[in-house]
Amino acid sequence: MLRLLTGALTGALAAVALACPTVAQDAYVVGVSGALTGPAAGTNAPPVEGLRLYVDRLNARGGVNGKKIQLIVLDDQAEPSKAAANAKRLLTQDNVRLLILSSLSSTYAPVIAETKRANVPLMLMGAVCPKEVYPPAEALQFCTTAYAGGYDSRAALAFIKETAKEPVRIGFAAMAIPLSRGEIDYAEGQAKTAGLTPVDKEVIPPPTADYTPFATKLKDADPNWIFSWAPWVTEVKTFEALRRLGWEGDYVAWAHIEAEAELARLKDGKFYVIGANSLFQDNLPIHREIVDEAKKSNVRYPAEQLTEGWIGGLVLEAVLTRAGWPTDADKIRAAMENVKVDTQGLRGGPIEWSKDNHFRTRQYYRVYRWDPAKSAIVQAKDWVPYDVK
Amino acid sequence: MQLIVNITVLAAIYALLACGYVLIYRVSRVMNMAHGELAMLGAYLLYTTASLFVGHPIVAIAMAVVLSLTVGVLVYVVLMRRMTGEMVLAAILTTIAIGVLIRGFVVLIWSGAQQHPLQTLNFSNPSIALVGGARISTCAALLVLMTVVVYGALFAFLRFGSWGIRMRAAGQSPLLAAQRGINLNAIYALAWGLSTLTGSIAGMLIALDSGLDQTMVVIGLKAFAPALVGGLDSLVGALVGSLIVAGAEVLAIHYIDPLLSDVVPFLVLLAMLIVRPWGLFGTREELDRV
Repeated sequence: MLRLLTGALTGALAAVALACPTVAQDAYVVGVSGALTGPAAGTNAPPVEGLRLYVDRLNARGGVNGKKIQLIVLDDQAEPSKAAANAKRLLTQDNVRLLILSSLSSTYAPVIAETKRANVPLMLMGAVCPKEVYPPAEALQFCTTAYAGGYDSRAALAFIKETAKEPVRIGFAAMAIPLSRGEIDYAEGQAKTAGLTPVDKEVIPPPTADYTPFATKLKDADPNWIFSWAPWVTEVKTFEALRRLGWEGDYVAWAHIEAEAELARLKDGKFYVIGANSLFQDNLPIHREIVDEAKKSNVRYPAEQLTEGWIGGLVLEAVLTRAGWPTDADKIRAAMENVKVDTQGLRGGPIEWSKDNHFRTRQYYRVYRWDPAKSAIVQAKDWVPYDVK
Repeated sequence: MQLIVNITVLAAIYALLACGYVLIYRVSRVMNMAHGELAMLGAYLLYTTASLFVGHPIVAIAMAVVLSLTVGVLVYVVLMRRMTGEMVLAAILTTIAIGVLIRGFVVLIWSGAQQHPLQTLNFSNPSIALVGGARISTCAALLVLMTVVVYGALFAFLRFGSWGIRMRAAGQSPLLAAQRGINLNAIYALAWGLSTLTGSIAGMLIALDSGLDQTMVVIGLKAFAPALVGGLDSLVGALVGSLIVAGAEVLAIHYIDPLLSDVVPFLVLLAMLIVRPWGLFGTREELDRV
């Protein structure tokens, strides 16, 4: 009877063990927390999809150092509490040796706290780069994302100053989340230094039923240029509301992953997008490679939205290759502190990390717009480099 | 003048969404916490039918409307019907679960990317110039018009329609209504169908005006405040509550701080709960039962 009971118990335990998701012992286990659903999913989910696409292809080719990469992907819906729970689970239960985050900036604080506690490096991918990755960088934070506080505004304002044919009265639009607000405050200060005249600044809450009241206030301030650095939904909906109100000025928005399709949809010659990623209309070999891979894998997002994830994959491959096998968090962090990745034209230059710089040594910006005469997206300004110090 | 237009449009959005909360609460005392998700689902259904019936926008819109009504009825028949006789709290928790399910399905089926049903329908959304230099987009004007039509139709239906009278009776006393031979399940199913339909119409028009993404869920939730301010069991209350909340929100954006727009609906709600917990047009005894 006892033997029967023991057998049944062992069987039950084995069944439970089989039913639970297993973490491969013979693979690089990487945790990912991203806003796969919820209001921020449009911007933050495609990078995760792009990373998965890259890793699947890499695994199919044999992986890194002869080992596969296992991604454990969890959804945080851009909610800080869920992101914290994800990080805790990935770090303590799944024992990941590298955590990747693609979510809103409001999730950063709890995730950073968890990674510090576990002494595991955090790679921000598809989520805005915080200032902590600039020199002198925080030991555990790294960033592959195109956009970054400070430099983006400087580049955008320089473009506006160079392009404007008359004195610039500039308005600003931000989303009411920490980094967007901080960046627009910074841009407002920089604009004054650059000789532009700030006339209004609207900080718009994320769930907004109608953008017209905010646009009305902006329009009433009579700007001839507006700069917006916020999640795409705020950037584009504010612009469209302004146009519906009859505002005819020039608008510069950060080129999020949605930008390419949106330029073609809006067909507005005075709507500029400034960014650090090249658009697929450039038709580089790497763009064609991503398009082909996306077609084969039947991904949910358009190929042109996978750039951030693809770049994340390139960096992940380089880091793990350098970290070797077997590996741990310390080896991965050491590898991250000494890596240089050729972005193959997806960016204006490489991603280069050192002990002090976890962003890149040089950030490149390019501006695109819709050309009504050509009925196509064109470059309004080619790569401009900014040294990161 | 533009301020008045802005208030009117926002009030129309809230009113169209708020009447869905009222319809269900009025007949079943259930607060449907999945209303925002159902409104979003209706908009995604329009996007899908627009993609399926390219070149036939009227067919696409009609199909989306029918599907939205069907979804509402199905939610009741498949899920909420089983909550009959259970605690109201259990029914409310069920609606929360429905909301989570819908959010998940939406991402699985349509992804989290922003969609533009207007483009898929091959419509344009030009501005209309009004007196005093004010402007309104065609879709926003349609939204205001549709709010008037929906409320007019609902008032007429509840006042004169035989099913409307039965619905009111079921709301006032389910036991007596059942004893008089009123099919309560049919009434509740109809209420869920109409509620989802009105919410979906709001969702579709918002999506046509400014694109479709998952932020619509939060907009749906914000419309809960006007419904409560007006009184959860009153359609007139939903209308007046929407005007008050939208007015306070737009004026706060314009004259105080845009950041207040998120807080103002709930400040108004809080003030109302302190002064008159059953809302402007709600009945006191109804709220006591909650």
